[in-house]
Amino acid sequence: EDEDEANGLEAWERAYTEDRSWESLQEDESGLLRPIDTTAIHHAQYRRRLRATARIQKGLIRYLYIVVDLSKAASERDFRPSRMAVIAKQVELFIREFFDQNPLSHVGLVTTKDGVANCLTDLGGSPESHIKALMGKLECSGDASLQNALELVHSNLNQIPSYGHREVLILYSALSTCDPGDLMETIQKCKKSKIRCSVIGLAAEMFICKHLCQETGGTYSVALDESHFKELILEHSPPPPAIAEYATANLIKMGFPQRAAEGSVAICTCHEEAKTGGGYTCPRCKVRVCELPTECRVCGLTLISSPHLARSYHHLFPIVPFAEISPSQNDPNHSFPNTCFGCQQSLLSQGNKAELSVSCPKCKQQFCLDCDMYIHESLHNCPGCESFR
Amino acid sequence: MGTNVGNVVIAKATDSTLWKSLLWRIIEELYPSNKISFHVVEYFMDSKVMTIAIYGKRLTQKSQFIMRIVVDTYALAERHKRRNKKMKFKIEEVTVYFPYDNIYPEQYAYMIELKRTLDAKGHCLLEMPTGTGKTIALLSLITSYTLSKPQSPIKLIYCTRTVHEMEKTLAELRLLHDYMVKCIGPSAKMLALGLSSRKNLCVNNKVLAAENRDSVDAGCRKLTASWVRALAAENPDVPSCEFFEQYERAGSAAVLPPGVYTLQDLRTFGKEKGWCPYFLARHMVQFANVVVYSYQYLLDPKVAAIISKEMQKESVVVFDEAHNIDNVCIEALSVSVRRQTVDGARRNINRMRQEIDKFKATDAGRLRAEYNRLVEGLALRGDLPAADGWLANPALPDDILKEAVPGNIRKAEHFIQVLRRLVQYLEGRLETENVEKENPVSFVFSILNHAGIDQKTLKFCYDRLHSLMMTLEITDTDEFLHVQTICDFATLVGTYARGFSIIIEPFDERMPHIPDPVLQLCCHDASLAIKPVFERFQSVVITSGTLSPIDLYPRLLNFNPVVSRSFTMSLTRDCICPMVLTRGSDQLPVSTKFDMRSDLGVVRNYGRLLLEMASVVPDGIVCFFVSYSYMDGIVNSWNENGILKEIMQHKLVFIETQDVVETTLALDNYRKACDCGRGAIFFSVARGKVAEGIDFDRHYGRLVIMFGVPFQYTLSKILLARLEYLRETFQIKEGDFLTFDALRQAAQCVGRVIRSKADYGMMIFADKRYSRHDKRSKLPGWILSHLRDAHLNLSTDMALHIAREFLRKMAQPYDKTGGTGKKTLLSQEDLDKIVLEGSMNDMLY
Repeated sequence: EDEDEANGLEAWERAYTEDRSWESLQEDESGLLRPIDTTAIHHAQYRRRLRATARIQKGLIRYLYIVVDLSKAASERDFRPSRMAVIAKQVELFIREFFDQNPLSHVGLVTTKDGVANCLTDLGGSPESHIKALMGKLECSGDASLQNALELVHSNLNQIPSYGHREVLILYSALSTCDPGDLMETIQKCKKSKIRCSVIGLAAEMFICKHLCQETGGTYSVALDESHFKELILEHSPPPPAIAEYATANLIKMGFPQRAAEGSVAICTCHEEAKTGGGYTCPRCKVRVCELPTECRVCGLTLISSPHLARSYHHLFPIVPFAEISPSQNDPNHSFPNTCFGCQQSLLSQGNKAELSVSCPKCKQQFCLDCDMYIHESLHNCPGCESFR
Repeated sequence: MGTNVGNVVIAKATDSTLWKSLLWRIIEELYPSNKISFHVVEYFMDSKVMTIAIYGKRLTQKSQFIMRIVVDTYALAERHKRRNKKMKFKIEEVTVYFPYDNIYPEQYAYMIELKRTLDAKGHCLLEMPTGTGKTIALLSLITSYTLSKPQSPIKLIYCTRTVHEMEKTLAELRLLHDYMVKCIGPSAKMLALGLSSRKNLCVNNKVLAAENRDSVDAGCRKLTASWVRALAAENPDVPSCEFFEQYERAGSAAVLPPGVYTLQDLRTFGKEKGWCPYFLARHMVQFANVVVYSYQYLLDPKVAAIISKEMQKESVVVFDEAHNIDNVCIEALSVSVRRQTVDGARRNINRMRQEIDKFKATDAGRLRAEYNRLVEGLALRGDLPAADGWLANPALPDDILKEAVPGNIRKAEHFIQVLRRLVQYLEGRLETENVEKENPVSFVFSILNHAGIDQKTLKFCYDRLHSLMMTLEITDTDEFLHVQTICDFATLVGTYARGFSIIIEPFDERMPHIPDPVLQLCCHDASLAIKPVFERFQSVVITSGTLSPIDLYPRLLNFNPVVSRSFTMSLTRDCICPMVLTRGSDQLPVSTKFDMRSDLGVVRNYGRLLLEMASVVPDGIVCFFVSYSYMDGIVNSWNENGILKEIMQHKLVFIETQDVVETTLALDNYRKACDCGRGAIFFSVARGKVAEGIDFDRHYGRLVIMFGVPFQYTLSKILLARLEYLRETFQIKEGDFLTFDALRQAAQCVGRVIRSKADYGMMIFADKRYSRHDKRSKLPGWILSHLRDAHLNLSTDMALHIAREFLRKMAQPYDKTGGTGKKTLLSQEDLDKIVLEGSMNDMLY
């Protein structure tokens, strides 16, 4: 009956024969197997990202709620050890990265399971408290409810001042949503309140999520595996383009508190306990707070330090994308040096063949691909331009 | 209205014209040279208001600015339309107008083949997957072809299966028409219209109140028949239809101006002018350049003779979605007589008898006049008023039309006697206890022996009845359907000696205890009904997404195509994922083979398959079963062993029933559940209404599971008779035909999920028989080319793994044009290059 047993191969074997997956492996000098150099591909991806995010105005003060789906689907083991564990790990990374990039912003955590949504932590500026709260609540059961989560987030975000950018990032494992009412109405409500909703799915594309993101101007993506998931979630750390219509210029009152003298004793407002040394004093009401940035519990003043502002600053003046130089262009008799200006590594690969490199359009210095990524994503300064100053 | 804030201009406009003038005024003010082209760089939508930023291309660095304009969404659509280039290219000597910015390579190839057919004035058979834009390719090429040859205008007759498809086709045509008029000017104007039954076209509310098609027809006739109108002219109390009266009064002035008319447009136009849209459309059909109507208007001889007889020979007939065309042809010529039919016919005859008596007493002259007319021959039938022509002879050879009606049925009462005897005879035959099968020749002979009606008399029954009803001024024709069926039967059986058989079954085989005798005249030869179409028209195009194997259709329909080709779909990504699932989660084979279908293990395996899939597939899943009874059975057992309940935790379940209203409601709720994220499963039946006409595109169908191979009910006497005929006449083996038929149904079912290239979906063929070469190879090429060897023999867990991977892959963003590699979307420039180089072939194959 089965006449297709040709070549003595089983069907699954044939799939691997077709894939030729072993060809994407390479043996290095010491005989170890490692994947073929894919930096060029990664670099192309990164450049696409760079172009796409080159925008005019950005929302620097963000109020972000992260909705974590802890429904039964989050216990699936197609991500190792389970979707839930992967989510928790990446959320931790994300929160740290987020505060690093957006020191003026606030994050809150919401979970949804058993058809309801719970507020895990309120909006706040301390990464540790969020991470701790999330790690303590990692149990999953029941169905997820998109509507309940959105309603909860909506009621919380509605109160924040108009200069803040309202955002929701939903990490969705489930493939359905169990709602008490019409989800479409809730989506419209979010849209009216200018809440930007983004979703990262862990299983497959869902229409309602796509619709939600389209309506509210967010992004929708689905993770292929853990590393892809990490990539996707980190894409949300730089501030999104501000919606021009809402981005009215606003003056915001901010306080720059001084660090309290070592040894001075005061009761901090965050933990309501007496502490010796450390902490900061609100310049308006002189109350003590433990961490920056935060909002003064007494007078409601936004308290930050100047490095925070400086770190947010680079989003407004991003470094221009570097131009790519194909290997044929930089022939040896060209005036360019053959080393990267950043790391001083040779730009020539084995066999004196020039590799792909980039150059800054302003200072015309050449960089290798690794430095290119480092400069744009972490350093936010061009070493070439800086050294000419 | 506009405020100038530095370099940022904010303006508000509520309608498109205002917006446009405003935009240009701003541009003029700022840049008097007016040589700036703009394009939209970003926009944001907020319910009705759209903010767009436009970016002036030719502005100098210094004066670059971002302008924000708040516009109505409509205005943006307008703007987009204007910005679009659209396409115009040459295929050999014909300039083709194509109302989109890009064309798929397969559309282009399709057009080339189509043009060859038109050049050769022959027929063709073209298979192209759904979602690749067959309709617009067809319309675009044929209308452009007509335009390029003004000396010999070609009429396009486009046949669709449903009203919905008709409207879609006309909408596409309008887009094309607008574009052509814009390019060429008024000389490109044409008249295109859809034609449907009175039910869809009538604007008279009183008539429309009737619930089904036949009653609407009868309701219309009650108001518009010539004698009713004559009465109404004398007596204002007799109701008449004002729309029809006004249409008649307008006379030759009642014409449609050139343009494209959907059914809705026709109704609106009719209401506006006060003319009856139905009769107007029927009148305009002979002048129109493009006519879109249902298959029946060409294939059913009863309807074809009145609607389509005026069509010129220089026409191109297109049968769209024609994979079932052989069945449509057969149904058009098949009649079944049941006990109710016989009883109803007897009632009808009695009533006619009474009418005749009444007329004899009051108006004997009328009956005599009819007699005289019949003596002169049936051909004179044509002089009856136009509105009264409603039914005609089923596919009679021309010479018979010229003959006079035989003497023994010319007199009304004699004809009634003949009908009585015929009905009596049929009733007698229905009383059999065994299944009987007979050929028409012996059946006619036995009618002659037992009822004394000869073959010639039988042949004329239909026309004679028609004439009599006209004479008796019967308007409630929906009451007389039974006697019409009997006469239809008599005429067919008297006309054809070959290609038919008469089968009498005393009961339904599936319910042997309930007597339900039925006498069926079954047509076995699809070529009989379609033969006149092939002979009369210059070109006939048969096209569908599933015509595989393509060499079988010419044999079934008995014609010689000049072109028969199957196109594949050029895809930027593998957006369909067909799988053959042969084993369940316990590694035991699954099948709906007769000996296995009730096996509990198979039932459970199918259930587990659906359950597992429901947990990994988002939004909508469609399941097709081989028959209603099988679906009932399996759903019942799933309910009993709790699988159904588990499935319901993931998704809601909806079921197709034989009741149309119920099914529509279920479909509606199914869509709602898919929209709102709850997810849903639709249980449906292959060969059912849903499988034929409903699309499950995008999130409405991410996965379709075909449970089993949808073979026809092989013990059916009708099918057996047809198979025998096919073997004897066309040398088509029974097995081949059955497999072909089952596989085309399966392909049709799974094809429901993918309706465009941007869409994606999985298809699971859950039966071990699909892994066999003879079955699989009959699937259409566009499915086969995606069916990887590794997916031919899967078990549930393997399929699950593949599904997960596939859905994740498909959720990733992709480049629609196919990037730099193989082009899947051709722009004007690409096409120009191809035409220059003549390198189409290496792109496609």
